[in-house]
Amino acid sequence: MSAAGMRCPACGSTNIVDDDLYSQAQLVCVDCGSVVSEGVLANDPVGGSDVSFSRTTAVAKRPCANLIKGELLPSKGSFPLLLQCNSVLLLVHFLKCICFTPTGQQRVKAICRILMVNREIEDLSHTYYKMAYEHKAFLKVSLQKKDILTGCCVLVSCRQLNWPITVGTISCLLDADSMVVGAIYQEMVKNLSIEAPIINVTDVIEAHCHEYKISSLDVPEELAENSRELTKRAVALVELAADSWIVTGRKPIPIMMAATYLAWQSLKPNKHRLKFSLDKFCQVAKVKKLKSAMTRVAEIKEVLCKLGKEIPWVRETVTPDNVIQLVECILQNRYALLRRAMRTHEDALLEESQASCAEAPPESSSQISECADQTPITSFVKQNGSNSDGKEKPGDADYNPRVLPEHSGTQESQNPPQNWGKRVLFAPPCVIHAKKRRAEQPEHTDVTGDEEISDSEIDSYIRTPQEARDFALMQQMLSLSDSAKS
Amino acid sequence: MDSSNDEALDIIITNVVATFRTRCHLNLRTIALEGTNVIYKPEVGKVLMKLRKPMITASIWSSGKIICTGATSEDEAKLGARRLARCLQKLGFKVRFSAFKVVNVLAVCSMPFAVHLIDFTKNNRPIASYEPELHPAATYRIKNLKATIQVFSTGSLTVTGPNVQNVATAVEQVYPLLFECQKPLCK
Repeated sequence: MSAAGMRCPACGSTNIVDDDLYSQAQLVCVDCGSVVSEGVLANDPVGGSDVSFSRTTAVAKRPCANLIKGELLPSKGSFPLLLQCNSVLLLVHFLKCICFTPTGQQRVKAICRILMVNREIEDLSHTYYKMAYEHKAFLKVSLQKKDILTGCCVLVSCRQLNWPITVGTISCLLDADSMVVGAIYQEMVKNLSIEAPIINVTDVIEAHCHEYKISSLDVPEELAENSRELTKRAVALVELAADSWIVTGRKPIPIMMAATYLAWQSLKPNKHRLKFSLDKFCQVAKVKKLKSAMTRVAEIKEVLCKLGKEIPWVRETVTPDNVIQLVECILQNRYALLRRAMRTHEDALLEESQASCAEAPPESSSQISECADQTPITSFVKQNGSNSDGKEKPGDADYNPRVLPEHSGTQESQNPPQNWGKRVLFAPPCVIHAKKRRAEQPEHTDVTGDEEISDSEIDSYIRTPQEARDFALMQQMLSLSDSAKS
Repeated sequence: MDSSNDEALDIIITNVVATFRTRCHLNLRTIALEGTNVIYKPEVGKVLMKLRKPMITASIWSSGKIICTGATSEDEAKLGARRLARCLQKLGFKVRFSAFKVVNVLAVCSMPFAVHLIDFTKNNRPIASYEPELHPAATYRIKNLKATIQVFSTGSLTVTGPNVQNVATAVEQVYPLLFECQKPLCK
């Protein structure tokens, strides 16, 4: 722990160190030797007393440890020091060092200052923290949960006032697992009945790009890149990824990392930059590399190749290696290229289906028997949105739950929705490589639950007395041999 | 009158969880010794017994309470539970099959269109919630049916509810909301 920002009242020097006298914490000035401050002789153990607050039998109960001001808190003057730290990691480290036992409200303040949010967000976070802290759902929770609650309040306020931060940032600041943070966040939102808008990846990417130390101050000229241009290019790449099913269902940070890397490469696609792998780029930019970012890079490059093929003036084949030079052109005209790619793909599919039309009749019967494996327990019938008579809107359609017989003709319609991944040009990997459903036995649908159970069936689950004796003997022998070995 | 059948939506039940009681104390060591297909877990205090015909796994506790999982329909769950009770009877316990109750039904369903989850959540706050950083699906909880629906952006749904009827009703209720926010498959 450091005593930054404190001045000795006797001589005015700032050279103050921790010099504990046995069990008493003391701050002593090195130059004149006076004791600047000292703690109480018998402290509560770090993190609160061993007996939890709700269980103490003290007659006059002290307020909860979280509400009492702790020793050695940062003075007001140390916050400017915090602001000078230009790396989040350094700030977190500083926060942990200097805040001995901060109260919840002070922690909220510290987090807001680290993230450099504006005054409104800070006030809103304080309000929410106060409400949540006194809500009955959070009265008896552990101290760790209350600490995480501080971060969640800041997260909610930022989202409501349009300041994009991710759950990942908050969990990094709190040094907690993002799933735990997420669970407490959702509980808090439910209990306080707050509504917070969902952030889009495109909003967060600007903040993400700023973290990369790739400006001309940090790296040599040939690797440097202007932050604004990098952000613009990365945003365009993320939008393209969102349109082609790469973003949906995935964690946002690896996608942003992949987009930033490709944007950096494509802004000056010379040999030097193209030779840089994702690992090296992250090292240069002083950012921690994520494993899934590599797969995202490959996926985005695949999409870029599909679009690059549609550029009319490109003669040679477009491969993931030479597509980077074309990225600028692709992004500028991405909507037109997307439309062209769709049309080309549809034309190709049409040709294929016409070719296979001649062999259609013998195939349809095999299709029906394939679908019979499935066990539809209830199906309901719904009017298609693009109805030919156009009488009813989808919202007014009647829903009649019916149990359809297994071998009905409508079973064929099951196949197209399941294989739409093969029909369209862009689809998420989970649809393209769909898992095969386990084939059900048809007899299962005739079960009533009250049938006769024959004795022979039950006997198959019971050992004969001889078998039971043998089994017991074997277990004894095994346990003996185990104890002999160990 | 029936509306014209252009597409039928199939709700496939993947798991049914049911509980019942045998009204008598069960000696787990006897079951573990004399039963086949059993796994004894003394540290937890239960025996896992697996049946073949309805593919069912049952957790048997010494108090006589039994949980059956793995059935694909409510009737199958009942059949499996009765089979299990007969089995325990044969092992020598005075079993009375009582308090059979289906506790949870898990079903999957696939929409013929993709869903724009952010719009869906915005239109249905606070019943729907979506945190892309935590889980890729949006969660929609229907309080009166006690059903939870997880909607994925590819159009797949997983529904859990206390019985099959509730699950079917839940899918019917959520369908129009999903239809409003559908994403065209191409682009």
